[in-house]
Amino acid sequence: MRRARPFALALALGIALPAWAADAEAGKRKAEPCAACHGAAGVSTNAQFPSLAGEPPLYVYYQLLNFRDGRRKNDVMVPFVATMADEDMKDIAAYYAAQARGPGREVEPAIADAGKAVEARNHCGSCHMPDFSGQKHIPRLAGQHYDYLVKSLRGFKSNTRADLDGTMSEAAQPLSEKDITDVAAWLAAR
Amino acid sequence: MSNRLAIPLALAAAWATMLATAQQPAPPTPAAQAPAAAAPIPPSWAQGRKADQEAANLSPHPPGLTALAEKEIPVANLKAPPGFHVTVYAAGAPNARSMAFGKDGTLFVGTRFPGNVYAIVDKGDHREVKTIAKGMYRSNGVAYKNGTLYVAELSRILKYENIDANLDNPPAPKVVYDNLPKDEAHGWKFMTMGPDGWLYFQIGAPGNIVMPPYTHATINRVNPDKGVLEVVARGVRNSVGMDFHPVTHELWFTNNGRDWVGDDMPNDTLHRVSAKNMNFGYPFCHEGALLDDEFGKGHTCDEFDKPAAKLGPHVAALGMRFYTGSQFPAEYRNNIFIAEHGSWNRSKKTGYNISRVVLDAKGKVVKYEPFITGWLQGEEFWGRPADVQVAPDGSLLVSDDTAGAIFKVSYRK
Repeated sequence: MRRARPFALALALGIALPAWAADAEAGKRKAEPCAACHGAAGVSTNAQFPSLAGEPPLYVYYQLLNFRDGRRKNDVMVPFVATMADEDMKDIAAYYAAQARGPGREVEPAIADAGKAVEARNHCGSCHMPDFSGQKHIPRLAGQHYDYLVKSLRGFKSNTRADLDGTMSEAAQPLSEKDITDVAAWLAAR
Repeated sequence: MSNRLAIPLALAAAWATMLATAQQPAPPTPAAQAPAAAAPIPPSWAQGRKADQEAANLSPHPPGLTALAEKEIPVANLKAPPGFHVTVYAAGAPNARSMAFGKDGTLFVGTRFPGNVYAIVDKGDHREVKTIAKGMYRSNGVAYKNGTLYVAELSRILKYENIDANLDNPPAPKVVYDNLPKDEAHGWKFMTMGPDGWLYFQIGAPGNIVMPPYTHATINRVNPDKGVLEVVARGVRNSVGMDFHPVTHELWFTNNGRDWVGDDMPNDTLHRVSAKNMNFGYPFCHEGALLDDEFGKGHTCDEFDKPAAKLGPHVAALGMRFYTGSQFPAEYRNNIFIAEHGSWNRSKKTGYNISRVVLDAKGKVVKYEPFITGWLQGEEFWGRPADVQVAPDGSLLVSDDTAGAIFKVSYRK
């Protein structure tokens, strides 16, 4: 009784737009310049730069749009995206979505317990999913670099990090500096 | 005397408890497990969600940030009653939402996420989309009068004077009203110019179901010359569409009902402001008849003003306008068209339509029916209608904030 799904690819990528005809193979080639910072196959080895492997494709696509269109400021990213077409962004996003994420890092048990409590209190899983794998336009946090998570949360708290709809800027307000480092350490270890 | 002492004593006791708690490992008592008073609240969309609803994995759809190329827009999916035809009026306007007409058929369009304002210029055989403002903050509301474009951001209203002659080089905006609340939840504005020359807009409830501050869950108006603000109506969870009846000049508006009660309640609603100081019930009573399971205690729905119509649960009734053109058949005159953005907080999707509301001579709603359908195919949507606007030629324009396009509904016998 289920209807045929003409937009199966769009669905698989989590967006209900017929125009989302992304090509992960083409994306692999288009993502070659990204590897210097974001790592081979999107697993970065420099904790300043986020790992993109296994990110929801809409998240990567929307962040690329935000960099190109000036809503998210970053001097390193701008030259790479300044003239990038939407199609290229979708392909790159599809490529990274199909890659396996890297391992989580070690964390001390005491910090892990504190970080877990910060998460429970702040309901991060409501949007980022209970396993922190992300969904739709919302990023994976599990196994992301500690340094990058800390930088992002500090940015949201100080309202200097671009925020699509204000949810993260509001969510970060109650966090203390210790909350930020604890929850980042716990998420990086997932 | 005892009352005057009681509060400081209670505060002192609470303070001592806090200190003690802070300095000791928490004992395994129920009190220690209760959330602290200052505990963070869930994201605004998840407020009021019950534990057994989490498994349904419902959350708001991603915002529309892009635009489909004209040839990619599946306009043939849009179905209209016999004699009506739907075409693409303009493409390439990411997140196109609220609409207001300027001079010579120029359509001003606000956006919620990209921070753009567009001027869509009618070139006869095609339309040119000009981005006249960028980098604005939730520039969702647009209104126009006598050469001035008004734009409502999250917490302020700006104006661009003599805009029609300066679309390619808009003047620096001037502040009309600043200092509106900065809450993100239901903080973006729908705004329209009233026949009295005041700008009307909502300040939504700062969350799904919360006790709003005095300023919130209201319809307000600002005199753009004097910068004076007045509250027009209260108890309105979030209105993202309003218009004035072409004969009575009364304000009518749509309202979005709360989430997480159930698939089939409460309904979104249509409201008529027929008196001063009306209160439509939020957060105590929804759709005029459903007491809130938390905030409704000790109240009855009789305390509050009733909606003019129930519009269906979770349909997300946004932009609405009275049909004042003469192109459509006579029975459409002074009907209300409503853009239903479509549901997220429902197991089976609903809305994603333009609906039609027919009023009788006394302003009573006698019919509510779908008018344009087809944004939803099965359970998948390819676009989401956000606002409607009657064009100078009597056609109806529909903005779509997901396809990034404007559609035109025309009538030919």
